[in-house]
Amino acid sequence: MSLGYYVKSFTLWEFVKAHWLTLKYFFKPKATINYPYEKNPISPRFRGEHALRRYPNGEERCIACKLCEAICPAQAITIEAQPRDDGSRRTTRYDIDMTKCIYCGFCQEACPVDAIVEGPNFEFATETREELIYDKAKLLENGDKWERAIAANLAADAPYR
Amino acid sequence: MTAFFQGLGLPFEGAWLLSTIIGILVIALPLMLAVAMIIYADRKIWAAMALRRGPNVVGPLGLLQSFADGLKVFLQETIVPSASNKALFLIAPIITFTVALMAWAVIPFGAGVLVSNINVGLLYILAISSLGVYGVVLAGWASNSKYPFYSAIRASAQMISYEVSIGFILITVVLWAGSFNMSAIVESQKGYYGFLNGNGFNPLLFPMAIMFLISAMAETARAPFDLTEAESELVAGYQTEYSSMAFALFWLGEYANVILMCGLNAILFWGGYLPPFDWAPLYLVPGIIWFLLKIAFFFFVFSWVKATVPRYRYDQLMRLGWKIFLPTSLFFVFLVSGFLMLTRYGGAQ
Amino acid sequence: MPKVKVDGVELEVPAGATVLQACEQAGKEIPRFCYHERLSIAGNCRMCLVEVKPGPPKPQASCALPATEGQEIRTDSEMVKKAREGVMEFLLINHPLDCPICDQGGECDLQDQSVAYGRGSSRYDENKRAVTEKNMGPIVKTVMTRCIQCTRCVRFAEEVAGVPEIGAIYRGENMQITTYLEHAAKSELSGNVVDLCPVGALTAKPYAFEARPWELKKTHAIDVMDALGTNIRLDSRGRQVLRAVPRINDDVNEEWASDKTRHNVDGLVRKRLDKPFVRKDGKLVPATWAEAFAAVAAVQHGGSVAAIAGDLLDCETMFAGKALVEKLGGSLLEGRQTGLSYDVSSLSSVVFNTPLADLETADVILLVGTNLRWEAPLVNTRIRKAIKKGAKVFAVGPEFDLTYKVEWLGNDASLLAKLPEAVVEAFKGAARPAMIVGGGVLAKDGAHGDTLALVDTLGLIKDGWNGYNVLHFAAARMGGLMLGYATKGGIKAVAAAAPKLLFSLGADEVDYSAFEGSFKVYVGHHGDKGAHAADVILPGASYAEKAGTYVNLEGRVQFGEKAVFAPGDAREDWSILRALSEALGARLPFDSFDALRGQMVKAVPALGVEGIADYGWSVPSLPTGATGELGSPIKDFYLTNAICRASPTMQQCSAELIHGESFAEAAE
Repeated sequence: MSLGYYVKSFTLWEFVKAHWLTLKYFFKPKATINYPYEKNPISPRFRGEHALRRYPNGEERCIACKLCEAICPAQAITIEAQPRDDGSRRTTRYDIDMTKCIYCGFCQEACPVDAIVEGPNFEFATETREELIYDKAKLLENGDKWERAIAANLAADAPYR
Repeated sequence: MTAFFQGLGLPFEGAWLLSTIIGILVIALPLMLAVAMIIYADRKIWAAMALRRGPNVVGPLGLLQSFADGLKVFLQETIVPSASNKALFLIAPIITFTVALMAWAVIPFGAGVLVSNINVGLLYILAISSLGVYGVVLAGWASNSKYPFYSAIRASAQMISYEVSIGFILITVVLWAGSFNMSAIVESQKGYYGFLNGNGFNPLLFPMAIMFLISAMAETARAPFDLTEAESELVAGYQTEYSSMAFALFWLGEYANVILMCGLNAILFWGGYLPPFDWAPLYLVPGIIWFLLKIAFFFFVFSWVKATVPRYRYDQLMRLGWKIFLPTSLFFVFLVSGFLMLTRYGGAQ
Repeated sequence: MPKVKVDGVELEVPAGATVLQACEQAGKEIPRFCYHERLSIAGNCRMCLVEVKPGPPKPQASCALPATEGQEIRTDSEMVKKAREGVMEFLLINHPLDCPICDQGGECDLQDQSVAYGRGSSRYDENKRAVTEKNMGPIVKTVMTRCIQCTRCVRFAEEVAGVPEIGAIYRGENMQITTYLEHAAKSELSGNVVDLCPVGALTAKPYAFEARPWELKKTHAIDVMDALGTNIRLDSRGRQVLRAVPRINDDVNEEWASDKTRHNVDGLVRKRLDKPFVRKDGKLVPATWAEAFAAVAAVQHGGSVAAIAGDLLDCETMFAGKALVEKLGGSLLEGRQTGLSYDVSSLSSVVFNTPLADLETADVILLVGTNLRWEAPLVNTRIRKAIKKGAKVFAVGPEFDLTYKVEWLGNDASLLAKLPEAVVEAFKGAARPAMIVGGGVLAKDGAHGDTLALVDTLGLIKDGWNGYNVLHFAAARMGGLMLGYATKGGIKAVAAAAPKLLFSLGADEVDYSAFEGSFKVYVGHHGDKGAHAADVILPGASYAEKAGTYVNLEGRVQFGEKAVFAPGDAREDWSILRALSEALGARLPFDSFDALRGQMVKAVPALGVEGIADYGWSVPSLPTGATGELGSPIKDFYLTNAICRASPTMQQCSAELIHGESFAEAAE
């Protein structure tokens, strides 16, 4: 219990030091990204909103093998399949419950034809939960909308697979 | 102003009533606006010290954020828990809010600029701020929920504890000023060492100024003494079950209280509406400007502390209140009164 | 009993066993594609290679090599591993990477074994072979590019189904499996090749792309399409049964099932009754359960109550129906909907007395008035097996193609009284003679008595052997007879009694015009004949939607489980009857299925024990001297009951295979 201790204690020295520190930070440049106007770059492997892709000729890729449904740890994917009129195997229903999805990316890993992918879009908040239950039409629409970005990402990541 | 309305032909009673109501509105409405802006400032300061941006989307620089929040809260449904005591549940936020506004009646914004220049202004403030705890206690009890109840118990103990030391601190100021009248207290702080305005510059009262600042934070349950709504322990404390306007009233009352405490700091120790230096040209600036600047400064200090110091533990809070502030302030009451006995009142004979 | 050593462990194997069987006995798994326990040995896939000493210093196909004394077999050596990898790589050379779109994916032998025994990758860079699809009828879908030429389907068609219409053409890499002239394989057992096919070359057409094996809930059930009581597994997802596949039960169905058994399940979701109906002003209108019950309760029956049981019922439903009728003061119960009125004073005279597994050891068989292929296809396969062991088959009745050599004696019931000498001689010399009496006999007055008279003439009863067999083809028949669903005089007697209140428990084959004056309550699952005639419809559960006890034609008691819930407002039949009894003021004394089953077993103890019920053996004295032609009760194999009639697959089978229309051609 030296004199210095009492001096420090009665002058609230620790508090003064701490406040000096925070005051310095007060004037420092901010670390936060100004989100809606600025965005961080994202990895080509980013796992965002799901999309069902098509082949360049417009044919949907998905062949209803149900591997994504099987691997999905959150059981968010529901698929029903039937032969299409030309006899090929296609889904009649492809639903993803985005509120269940944990964005692990297993579905795109399991997909043998690169049909279901998690695209770079992460801005798909909705006002109701119902809108987050995606059906096949919505997923195909996503695919059409994001195809360029998705294809570029897949190409960028291809050498490391 | 009463005279002004009498001049318009109203009888005295009517003129008095009208002028009082106008006086209340002139203080209360800008106060509400100030609360909105001060919430915004609080968030901005806190964010800046954490290297964040704070609200910056609604309006220019996010200035309208508080109004957006207010509108959102206003449009929400008021949920009254089925197990609560409904009448008390709804009255509690109103008490908090009303009481927070009532104290402003005796605050002098400038020389003679106040609603009610009563002789025992300081006692009035003490009494009103003691009533403020009722809002919190009733809210906690009426919610009929465990966390709010815990919070209410904490709040009552905390506020009573710090009111004791605040009381002694105020006595030192009253002794020095020789009056309970707020304006008189302000006026008494003129001319320390010939050029400074403020009790804080008095070496005997400076420690009291610091202690009052700290106690004021505890009294308004601001960080680091915000144990009543410690979210990591009590969800949201006594506000847990509140929503919509009831919640907003708590929020407004709380910040009105914070501004009040900032104002008290300025009035009691730092010269109130007086300029900081006793230098003639500075008196050309209206007193209210000085007062508001001082409130703003103290609010910055409040936010600064909030951003710097982590929350106290409850036993630490109690120890600080009862084992440090109470004896110290008591000691200073003796010291100041002794000093005044010796000097001003010639008690040496 | 040769002694062999498998991986150093010595064991004794039965004489005539193959090396593969010896290895299995030792608990070693031998991969195989072409080998199948119930088919002949082909030895063409080469997957079962093992190392055998003494012998040439190369791997040997274990399925085709007899185990002999002193063999040393190795299944775990480096050579065997390499050999399997090599064979697997060759098999995969021309096998397309179709797994994601292949229905076999997930239950594919080739998939599993290539994971377990194959190399990680292929070294084959050339183009793969492609083969055109073949037409194998409305049940079997072909993707022949996937075929690995194991020839299981060829052997099944020839040996078990008896329709040698599938074969292989060309040789080497160009070998293709095809049907004769691209005709559909006209077999009621064709669906079994889907199970046999170790790859995805033959898959079920109605089930195409429906589901993956891992999504299906598997329930053990008993089939009700014929009286055999085929042990099946119902694979369901959610509230829909997607497919039925046979379970192995050597005493009943071995591991086969008829196409009707397999593919009626799409009828379970069509034309279903999913809410109660009440007839108002001549029209059936939807109602609530309470309204429907009230409509029944309003009937002034005065104890004049009857119940008719349908062909697909479980014993519990029939027992609950019987209990309700008796509680209401009635006694008229009948299950033989089409008007049969044979004598049931001795159940042993109306049951299939020879256990099915023993039937294949019979040496002389007389078929009387039966089309086995349609009435009980899996009994027919047993007789094929008996013929392979040297049995001789005679038949009286209308001629059918039974897929094996039959000596047709003519179609005149009077033949029964004076069988040709050769037949009698053949039976005299037989150790295990059998007679199978079909539905055509039971429908003919006196013919039943004629056949019973033959028991002694032909010496059908031997020590430990009873060769007198009556063949039923309604799943509920034996259970119904045990529960007393038989009124003297048959359905005509019931109609003559003109019951005020008639419970129709899923009875869809009855001629309801005979019950004009009755208030008809239909408890059943399909909108078929019974529902159309009803005054009140109470929606019930099909065989897939309720647990139940079933008795097959040989009197074998079997239990089935519930696979899915009935659609809409439909309930399990027993609970409907229980609730209805409350509304009628005649509360039935059971509140749970277990309590009901307990009371049923108390009333008829044999229904509580799994296995063949013992009816003793007694011959009632019945009128004889039938004359005239014997008929065949089944007009269309694929459309024998309400479920089948609702099933598009069965409709298509009927149109394509029986009526000769080709939907494939019509579509083009």
